Amino acid sequence: MTTLQVVAPTLEVAVSVALLSFVVVVAVLTAVVRDVLTAVVVFAAYSLGLAILWVLFHAPDVGLTEAAVGAGVTTALFLLAISQTVRPAGGRTLVDPRTVKPSSVVVALGVTVGLLLTVPALPPVGAADTPAFGPVSDFYLADAADRGVDNAVTAVLVVYRGFDTFGEIAVVFAAAVAVLAALGRETLA
Amino acid sequence: MTSPLLAGVLLAGATALVALAALVLGRVVRGPTTPDRVVAVNVVGTTAVVVIALLSAALDEPGFLEVAIVYGLLNFLLSIGLAKFTIERGGVL
Repeated sequence: MTTLQVVAPTLEVAVSVALLSFVVVVAVLTAVVRDVLTAVVVFAAYSLGLAILWVLFHAPDVGLTEAAVGAGVTTALFLLAISQTVRPAGGRTLVDPRTVKPSSVVVALGVTVGLLLTVPALPPVGAADTPAFGPVSDFYLADAADRGVDNAVTAVLVVYRGFDTFGEIAVVFAAAVAVLAALGRETLA
Repeated sequence: MTSPLLAGVLLAGATALVALAALVLGRVVRGPTTPDRVVAVNVVGTTAVVVIALLSAALDEPGFLEVAIVYGLLNFLLSIGLAKFTIERGGVL
């Protein structure tokens, strides 16, 4: 029994590693694929992989948002955008390495290294002194129940971070109006 | 409650499926036609649904199944959208 209890977390790590490798491969493919439609399709696969990762990390709400926005809305908007473009005629599937600007590769690598440098500053997974395990979580869980909101995530979004959510709604509304205005102009022209 | 043995088997299955999805990516990149890519990305989406269902059972979190349902829905819409786009270029919405 004990060996099995050791094996299960190892397998969870195996799933994470497989998913992370999948996501990295898909991200690189999105950058180097030459056909725009293929890039959009590959990017949808990237979103799906990322959303499974969120679910695996016990954040199904984030996973749902990632799937709906990343794989759904973004893909539809990209398709709308590339419907106004022309496909490159035949030729190679991947971008010619000689046409890639060295400066963009340097910038991409620089950002990646910079982000990786911040990883050691993060607390280890499950560390007892992270804020999530402090008295704050208990307060929110108890207080949200007192306010009659069943879902703690919903309570944080609409009660404790109400103004932040309000601002987000304003941004989303402005974006929707801009998209509709742009689309309306296309059909009128 | 899922037994550790069952959870282990389910997680191993999930890992294998993710590895297979990575192989299907070859078809997404190589094509050669757009329908090939649409079917390939549909396979990746279906794999995502199954992997989430397996995780839900292995981690004993029935709430994850809702995410799997939304995925199934989105996957269908994604394929329909891409297929429609391929037939009549620009007719997405």
